[in-house]
Amino acid sequence: MNSNASIKTIRLCGELEIGRKSEIRDALSRSGEERAILIDLSEVTYADSVALTELLRFCVECQRSGVAVALVIKTPQFARVVQYAGLASAFKTFDNSEGAVAYLSEHVQR
Amino acid sequence: MKRASELRLRRPAQSQYIAPIRHALAAFLEALQVDRELRDDVTTAAGEALANVVEHAYARSSGRAARSVQLIARCKDGGKLLVDVSDQGSFIRRKPLPGRGFGLRIIRAIARHISIDTSRGTCVSMTFEARSAASKS
Repeated sequence: MNSNASIKTIRLCGELEIGRKSEIRDALSRSGEERAILIDLSEVTYADSVALTELLRFCVECQRSGVAVALVIKTPQFARVVQYAGLASAFKTFDNSEGAVAYLSEHVQR
Repeated sequence: MKRASELRLRRPAQSQYIAPIRHALAAFLEALQVDRELRDDVTTAAGEALANVVEHAYARSSGRAARSVQLIARCKDGGKLLVDVSDQGSFIRRKPLPGRGFGLRIIRAIARHISIDTSRGTCVSMTFEARSAASKS
């Protein structure tokens, strides 16, 4: 996990599924100082609804605190499961980290 | 899609067994030459049904119950894939809560047909339209 003063990066890899629920929840944490969070999921090979629920809970929490969150999703399975769950509009997703950083930087500079 | 036999797995209904069951299903579908996208979708839907068993099926059971989950996958003539996920636990009908209940929504988005039999434990039966990699080329 990397962070700087304004944008924090949380990176999750591999299969995000029920067996890793606690690990996902632990990884999705805030220090309280960051104004934007990039969740890099580009190396996630599988995600289930348990992972989506944890991501949604974290994003809602951040939104309430005025912290912007962007997700980088590259794998087709993950992108489709977000659609299937009806959560496309619940997350700000990008297929590359450059786009996500640009979006978050804009939020930080406001 | 090749005609093939059946995949039948029974494991303890614990979270650490779910990924290996999914991987076995993916390998079975690959052997059937099911194309990658459908393979991923079928294993995603099955993974949701399996996760539901782990999270909910035995929540009200006493310690003596056989807490297992079974997956049966088979292909039928006419290019249909059938996947059943069953348990011997209790089906709990819940009110939909905001921010929860995505598993069944995902299954419904992927499967052509889904039925849930709660007469003896719970059996989620999913039907998918098979597309083979060979038929695409």
